[in-house]
Amino acid sequence: MGGKPACTLGEVKNRADLIIYWGGNPAECHPRHFTKYTLTPKGKFTPNGRKDRTMVLVDIRETPSARAADIFLQIRPGRDFEVLTALRAIIKDQPVDPERVAQTGLTLDQLRDLAGRMKRARFGVMFFGMGLTMTRGKYMNSSAILTLAAELNAFTKFIAMPMRGHGNVTGADTVLRWTTGYPFGVCFNRGYPRYNPGEFSTIDLLVRGDVDAVLVVGADPAATMPQPAIEHLKRVPTIVLDPKVSTTMRIARVGILTAATGISAGGTVYRMDEVPIPLRPALRSPYPTDEEVLRRIRQTLAARTDE
Amino acid sequence: MAVTVVQNATCTFCGCVCDDIELHAEGDRIVKAKNACSLGEAWFLHHTAERLYPDALIDGQPASLDAAVERAAEILDRADLPLIYGLSNITSEAQREAVFLAELAGGIVDSHTSL
Repeated sequence: MGGKPACTLGEVKNRADLIIYWGGNPAECHPRHFTKYTLTPKGKFTPNGRKDRTMVLVDIRETPSARAADIFLQIRPGRDFEVLTALRAIIKDQPVDPERVAQTGLTLDQLRDLAGRMKRARFGVMFFGMGLTMTRGKYMNSSAILTLAAELNAFTKFIAMPMRGHGNVTGADTVLRWTTGYPFGVCFNRGYPRYNPGEFSTIDLLVRGDVDAVLVVGADPAATMPQPAIEHLKRVPTIVLDPKVSTTMRIARVGILTAATGISAGGTVYRMDEVPIPLRPALRSPYPTDEEVLRRIRQTLAARTDE
Repeated sequence: MAVTVVQNATCTFCGCVCDDIELHAEGDRIVKAKNACSLGEAWFLHHTAERLYPDALIDGQPASLDAAVERAAEILDRADLPLIYGLSNITSEAQREAVFLAELAGGIVDSHTSL
């Protein structure tokens, strides 16, 4: 893995002349991405806005986002890793077998055209979605696209950015990184942070029955997780903090109602490019914020431990 | 009823985190979300500040916040390996508190990213 070549969405707006979306459908999932950050805004080095940019969409089906694209590349499901790896080879003028490329659903000419555009771009960006990261290959796909972006920097400026959903999921990565050194799945049972996806990731922990209590905040796993994981949530004492009585709160031992983030609770949320943005809540909630409740639980726990 | 207008409000529905929304609030609900996309507008108009539920629930029964906090601390205290999970739709200040709590409880903290 070659790290994550990153930039802000402001840099994309002002500089990017090649925008590639891979395994994502911003027209329906991030509706203002095109108009606020990537395609139509007029930037310092993209004074003509849309006319100064080329957009490529790579996906397994023609989503509504294809209408915004100059080039749509339809690949076969589960072939992302092969396409990314072929692109890495073509960019370095390595030989590529046209028959094996054909198995991806694209022709070698299409990939050569894309590779040429990537190398000729002044500033290229690849935004990748769950169509890449949650299908066959998973984190190896993420690794492949980040490596491709890193290697393109031998020719031009190129970055890759995940299209994060779910409000502040980017903040969770960022906060865990600057508090523990790791982005998710961090275990403190030895008194210092340890990181091991598979061992300390939630679904694995629940399915194996490794944890004997769960506190859920800012999520509703009982509505989305696989059944064996939900069964374990029912088995152990579960505490849920949520602005409404959620599916998970209904099966929990303790439920605490909290103010809704950004609606009636203030604070900071990280945008997908890891820029922190302050909230301006418009309403006053009758309930405390998640932050206040977590702090009170921690203080009460600390008092118990001191006894 | 008087309408309060909040300029440059921030939408937390998706990772775009648009911070140019004009919110019009009337009493305990938002009645207008200017500049928001269809997803953001639905998000803002759907949430209210009404008191629809008790402060807390213990074993499904209405309870006070104090009792629920005490019970939560007791559960975490008794656990050998508690898990703190989620962290998606909360502020980064709350996320930091969640990490602090996990450290104190000697547990695991994890987010949607691991799915």
